[in-house]
Amino acid sequence: MAFPSYAPSSRSFSAGDYAYKTFQSQSGKEVRILYGDKRTGMTLDLGYSNIPDTQADDFVAHYDEVKGGFTAFTLPAAFRTGWSGDTAAIDAATGNQWRYSEPPTITSVRPGISSVTVRLVGVL
Amino acid sequence: MAKVYTGKDGRLLLDGIEQIKVSNWSLTGNLEMLETTSLGESQRTYTPGVQEFSGNATLLYYNDGTGRNDAATALKKVLRVSGVSDGDTVDMRLRLVEGNTNHDVRLTTYITSVSFGASVGEVTSAQISFQATGALTEVTI
Repeated sequence: MAFPSYAPSSRSFSAGDYAYKTFQSQSGKEVRILYGDKRTGMTLDLGYSNIPDTQADDFVAHYDEVKGGFTAFTLPAAFRTGWSGDTAAIDAATGNQWRYSEPPTITSVRPGISSVTVRLVGVL
Repeated sequence: MAKVYTGKDGRLLLDGIEQIKVSNWSLTGNLEMLETTSLGESQRTYTPGVQEFSGNATLLYYNDGTGRNDAATALKKVLRVSGVSDGDTVDMRLRLVEGNTNHDVRLTTYITSVSFGASVGEVTSAQISFQATGALTEVTI
């Protein structure tokens, strides 16, 4: 199954960075060497508040399907719900896909209702 | 027939015993709402969460001549030497009477706070607050 296609109730995106290394001399002069031309390491936290348990368990099913953090995947457009900017701006940058950086967390709120938190990281 | 209810119609029963000299009671029911608004929606949406019932009552500190003092009995639910245990619940009925018909809200409660005192020129009374545990057991209002 694909990543569950539900509109999140919260979303936090960090753009990641390019692969480079910084060297600093004793004088304070800094030299940076760029190792790649693709941005990576972006992070995406998605929260799904007070959803039915029958939807919450879809995240665990997907987590199993991609073998936890092992397999990278793409996200359905629903994760961008409410975003009116460039669709690529908050997705995995060119050449990247998402993988789980942590197992999905399910918090039971009341019988039949749970909140889910998903943390993803973009990898090349 | 039209009926306006007043304090005269009110009754309070603790563990099946109608209390004497009750000057007021009130009950509050709350329903917690869980927000289900998702990104992209312009209006907040909710789903029902858990319910809660609590209230309070005032009983005159009154001896009926046979040694019965309901206020003292209620006060002792909290004012006691030993601690309060799980079994110290009170079967409470908040009642409005209409002829032979009783309009009840029945609930299992813990007495959560009590207060009483003595003041010059005032009748001594006991104020009790209660918190329901579990669902209402009867509603005939």
